Amino acid sequence: MSVARGAIAIAIVSLGFAAIAQQSGETVPRQMQGAGAPAGLQPAPTRPPVDESALRYFASQGDTRRVDAEVARLRALYPEWTPPTDLSQSPGSALPQTDPAVDALWQLYADGKVAEIRAAIAERQAADPNWKPPAELLVALDQSEARRRLTNASDSSQWRTVLAIATETPTLLTCANVDVLWRVAEAFAKTNQIPRARDVYTYTLTNCANPTERLGTLQKAVALLPDAQIAELLKFERRTGDTPDDFSPIRDELARRRVERASVDGKTIAAPDDLAIVERLAENPADSGNALILGYYNYHHKSPEKALEWFKLALDRNAGPKAAEGYALTLRNLNRFVEAEAFAFDWRDKAKENMQVYLDVATALLSQDPPPRLDPRVITRVIQAVTAQRFVNGAQALGWYSYNTGQFRSARDWFLKALAWNAEDEPSAYGAALSTQRLNDRAGFNAIVTKWRPRSPRIADLADGRVTAPASGRRSAGPDATTETTAAMTAPSPIAMPSSGLPAPMTTTAPATAFPQDQPDSAARRAEATRMAQADAPPPVEPLRPSAALRRMEEPARFEQTAPAEALPAARRPAARAAEARGTGRANRGCTVTRNPTSLAPGAALTLGWCLMELNRPMEAASAFDEAVKRGEGQTREEAAYGKTLAYLRKDLTAEAAVAAAEAPQSADRRRELNASILSQRALGAYREGRWMEVILALGERSRVVPEQTDLMLLRGWSYFKLGRYNDAERIFRSVQRTGYSDEANVGLNAVLERTQNIRQ
Amino acid sequence: MNDSGSRITRLCWLFCVVVAALAPLQPAVSAPVEPVKIAGTVTASDWEAYRSRFVKPDGRVVDNANGDISHSEGQGYGLILALAAEDRGTFEKIWNFTLTEFLIRDDGLAVWKWDPAATPHVTDRNNATDGDILIAYALGRAGIHWKDDRYVKAAQRLAMAIGKTGIGREGESLFLLPGAKGFAAADRPDGPVVNLSYWVFEAFPILASLAPEFDWSAVWRQGIVLLQQATTGKTRLPADWISIRARLQPRTADGFPPEFGYNSLRIPLYLLRAGMTDMDWLKTVDQRWRAGSEGVAIVNVLTGQVRERLTDQGYTAMSAALSCALDGTPIPAELKTFEPKLYYSSTLYLLSMSLVGEKYPKCL
Repeated sequence: MSVARGAIAIAIVSLGFAAIAQQSGETVPRQMQGAGAPAGLQPAPTRPPVDESALRYFASQGDTRRVDAEVARLRALYPEWTPPTDLSQSPGSALPQTDPAVDALWQLYADGKVAEIRAAIAERQAADPNWKPPAELLVALDQSEARRRLTNASDSSQWRTVLAIATETPTLLTCANVDVLWRVAEAFAKTNQIPRARDVYTYTLTNCANPTERLGTLQKAVALLPDAQIAELLKFERRTGDTPDDFSPIRDELARRRVERASVDGKTIAAPDDLAIVERLAENPADSGNALILGYYNYHHKSPEKALEWFKLALDRNAGPKAAEGYALTLRNLNRFVEAEAFAFDWRDKAKENMQVYLDVATALLSQDPPPRLDPRVITRVIQAVTAQRFVNGAQALGWYSYNTGQFRSARDWFLKALAWNAEDEPSAYGAALSTQRLNDRAGFNAIVTKWRPRSPRIADLADGRVTAPASGRRSAGPDATTETTAAMTAPSPIAMPSSGLPAPMTTTAPATAFPQDQPDSAARRAEATRMAQADAPPPVEPLRPSAALRRMEEPARFEQTAPAEALPAARRPAARAAEARGTGRANRGCTVTRNPTSLAPGAALTLGWCLMELNRPMEAASAFDEAVKRGEGQTREEAAYGKTLAYLRKDLTAEAAVAAAEAPQSADRRRELNASILSQRALGAYREGRWMEVILALGERSRVVPEQTDLMLLRGWSYFKLGRYNDAERIFRSVQRTGYSDEANVGLNAVLERTQNIRQ
Repeated sequence: MNDSGSRITRLCWLFCVVVAALAPLQPAVSAPVEPVKIAGTVTASDWEAYRSRFVKPDGRVVDNANGDISHSEGQGYGLILALAAEDRGTFEKIWNFTLTEFLIRDDGLAVWKWDPAATPHVTDRNNATDGDILIAYALGRAGIHWKDDRYVKAAQRLAMAIGKTGIGREGESLFLLPGAKGFAAADRPDGPVVNLSYWVFEAFPILASLAPEFDWSAVWRQGIVLLQQATTGKTRLPADWISIRARLQPRTADGFPPEFGYNSLRIPLYLLRAGMTDMDWLKTVDQRWRAGSEGVAIVNVLTGQVRERLTDQGYTAMSAALSCALDGTPIPAELKTFEPKLYYSSTLYLLSMSLVGEKYPKCL
């Protein structure tokens, strides 16, 4: 490791020297010797005069290409040197190079046959130990080998080798070998030495004249450096002179990138100039990438009509599945569900994402309120896809669709199917409870209640008779396409992941769905279904209460999802904020003076607790609350236990918080809130300490209490990542991406990609 | 350069003596060990037949049975055989190709696979420890023989890298990992996994002088121990890929056939070339390979079932060299003319015949 570091350090030094050498007109090799070149280095001869034998040989052969290359090479080595004007003549008094064998070697060199030259030198030296090849030839061979080796190492991502070779052969690092400079810069970038990479690009732009190579330099840099540094490099653009630069493609690329980033993030607005550039680029009939970017930009920025046009253009230009995905999503956002389903259906097998979009769109189609009349063929193919993919949300949507059209038997079967695919899916359990109740399926109903009563207040309410099943239910988890929430407008509906990605052990047969449209010939049954639905309808006043009950699960979700999304701290927000809200109401009397809560009445201790919470002295608050818990009763005791839990949470003492939470019975809502906070805090704590499995367990438990927040999903994704469970991590990051938090998700996805690619290589 | 040359020679003999002194502990190794000398043991005409078929003008050694790809093993064998034929020019070419195309890994080892039809040509940048050892060994021997410091320095670098990355440790014992990645205990449930044919025994004395920081004689010893453990089964043949997770009970590694295959059949040759003719196991192999018996074959090590008989000249030459070494059986006349067809068997032929020519001229 330290050897590698050393090598890199030397590379930087030598690189610096090469740059200085070029500018000051001194030769690189001498500088290298001064800089303490590594042992074994064969420095180029520095003695004047410059060996022009190769040059003269190539000239005598009329090989102008080689002559030019050799002139460039010598110039790079000896900036003060000027090529002779009389190349056709022998320099006479210069070097006595008349050995035909040496000419043959130079000819081999001209043909790029380095191995053959090495062989010939070795053989001749074996026969004639006193013979020495021209030093210039040896330098040229060393360089040529080093360049080839460096190129190969770079092609195989062996960055440390690249840097080591550059160190050993600093003479390579000149404008004559711009490709080598680019590869060295890339090696620096790939070994987390971005500033060094930038130095190499700066060196190139400062010293090298060829405008094509200068633009190429920026094109290389743009792939590796952050935008701000590219902007710095753009300042090297030469606007005057014989060969002025035109770096406008780079500026276009930067604009394109900015728009691309904004295109997946509804919160980022692209500059009009940038958009204009991308629109100009998209005018090229061969372009589809920019049309696609504009499609997504408009999709995520609430211009679905424009988005649709761009996606259409991209599709016409064969942008493929990604464009189809956008097109279908946009149709869905425009509430054109029937079209969306039909379009997405045609693309569903093109990529994993397209299948997901199809399922989402089909789910949205089914989830409309009131339930739409659908072509039986559509129903059939939705069922096929949902079943084949074991898509829980789809099964649930089929359940609600059946329920809302009075087909309680198939509704029950679909909800149970959804539960079979994800046993932890509360909304499906709720749907199953409602439909079994409607069917008077006592055994089925009781089975669900037994399992879910502790976890689902609304199922408990159903069982306790506080609510009865409504005639029609709604999809109740997460915003769906018909819900007017920001999340639903900017992103596909969140997708509950199935509990297992494994295929079904045997072919799953879809539950028999008795949709009216399914059996057009069975008018009698349809009539009966309608009659039953009417007969089963509850008293007119009833639906209001259950619909309130239905929403109860949504509310905490909304509350948490709209909480500010600063990655980690947000998880702690709800509890802290609740405490503060409570505190302000009660803490008007001063508590800055330390008081012993044991001397206070339980009510006063409770007030003191809230007051101390407001002053952010949670440990003192905890002992005040503790007094109120110990001696208080009823409401006071419940309130105090609640306060104590919040106090411990604020100190990150999750174990103590959990104990406190259990000290007094709490209302269902509050219990849920506390549990959720404790579990998120536990997850955060575990995450900070790198106990990844615990993070996943805590968050899994939490997601059974309340819907999972995006930031916590990220935490879970990273934990899977740290555990090396890249498939799971990718799955989570993809879900996050679909909720609109694509920047954070993309960081994760890229990390996964990088890791899995490395593994596959 | 004379200096490093003589150091190697001296250390080599020192090491050989050490190994010989171990003999009482290892009944199999009871005679003084004297590895082959190599240089001058392949005739110019045999070499020319090999070189013209398998060595490209740029120094690439071609495996013509595998889509004309090249690999680090082939480059290593090419170097050894060029040295054996004392063909300095071709050695230089092969070395040039090996250096620029194979020795590009960050850890200093060679990538193992090079495909002329692919871009970039390196299609698998993993290393293969036997290829690394063969190259380092050839460079070390060539550096001494031709007194060329470039070879010795390169050999030292490579030997150091092998020592650093290629040696695994289980408790007290050191063994060769087949590659830097994917074979260690942490890498797979049945790891460590080893390949006994990666122990090029004749190379260890040279490696020990090139990279004395590492205990190569312990690696050597462990190779013998593992070979003995892996040949206690009914067929007395080792599988090519062996899991040594259960220390005293080597078994076929997961995902590999339980076969004594193209890899393992080199082991007897390596033992002979390293001078370890006294190992009992060689007699077992000799009985199988002898004319009129089974012959050289790929064998299921559990059932003894033969999957494929190998009759190319290189395989029969190998078994003839074994019989010659064990009891002086003359080399059959039809083996005396080299008829190269495929890279691997041709390589085995030259390695076998150079051994016979150097150590057992009476068999010819």
